[in-house]
Amino acid sequence: MRKAILVWIAVVGIANLFVGIHGCGSSGNRDTKFQQYYAQGQQLYEQHCSNCHQKDGRGLGLVYPPLAQSDYMDKDLDHVLCLMKYGLSGEIVVNGKAFNKEMKGVFSLTDLEVAEIATYIYNNWERDQGIIDISDVTKAHQKCDN
Amino acid sequence: MKFTKEMRSQFSHPFNLLAVCILFVGACVTKEKPLPIFGERELVGTDTVYHRIAPFQFVDQDSALVSNTTFQDKIYVADFFFTSCRTICPIMKTQMVRVYEATKEMPDVLLLSHTIDPEYDTVALLHDFAERLGVESKRWHFVTGSKDSIYKIAQTSYFATAMEDKSEPDGFIHSGAFLLIDKKGRIRGKYDGTKEEEVNRLIVDIKRLRSTNGI
Repeated sequence: MRKAILVWIAVVGIANLFVGIHGCGSSGNRDTKFQQYYAQGQQLYEQHCSNCHQKDGRGLGLVYPPLAQSDYMDKDLDHVLCLMKYGLSGEIVVNGKAFNKEMKGVFSLTDLEVAEIATYIYNNWERDQGIIDISDVTKAHQKCDN
Repeated sequence: MKFTKEMRSQFSHPFNLLAVCILFVGACVTKEKPLPIFGERELVGTDTVYHRIAPFQFVDQDSALVSNTTFQDKIYVADFFFTSCRTICPIMKTQMVRVYEATKEMPDVLLLSHTIDPEYDTVALLHDFAERLGVESKRWHFVTGSKDSIYKIAQTSYFATAMEDKSEPDGFIHSGAFLLIDKKGRIRGKYDGTKEEEVNRLIVDIKRLRSTNGI
């Protein structure tokens, strides 16, 4: 019994330590929102995108283009925000290599969901673009050409 | 083999029985159990006849005829997919590329992917797909044929589900199974081609099958 209590105290202690570290490391609301977007974005990414683009964002051969290290993605954020929802067809060049397979958009995605996925893919794989807000998505979606 | 009177009397002695048990355990440790043989079996005379892949003839990404003779004396891994599928096929193809890489140095191992959407997946499209995956046609055949013959061989020979279903997001339902076929055309393993651990097991089983000459 005594042993059990000691173990319990140790577990609670360690847990507190973790909460403490994370709590102190983040600086208020902005980061909480970022964390939420990022975490939600990761889930949505794994639901809608990673089948083809892979969990590690490396794509597959010349069939599915990579997202991790992709000059195509770095070039035009607004265009990427559009294609997630409205899809893309025809040839595109990513890192000097031609890809040509239609990607159907996920039309059911809300602006918030697009923002969350974008926050995930633009802050992962050595990218550090910060939060992509709903307002960025709404603005971009007004000018989509696909 | 029948139990004779003498054998029964041998087993009756506890020490002898113990010795026999140890022998069996020893055998298990030194020699792996062979892979199972799937499907129905029949006894014809004294021979057991196992389920085999029925004769087939399809066309691959190079417009070459692919049939049972292509896989004569070969071990192969078969699956069913279609190029426009966005659900499980991309994962299956990622995993099949792993099998392709793992069997690079094994000239007696081939891969066979059947499209279940032959109307859309033409030879030219399959050719482009294979090329984009960066794989050699002589080791990995992407085949197309009549829809009926593909669905039939999927269901009756490979025990894999493949059919049209307009209510599905991409219009088809099919299993993500990878099937390991031995040099005699018998199914020796079934794996979920969407799961990395299962495909690891497949790669191990290919090596096991090769260690017994593929039969």
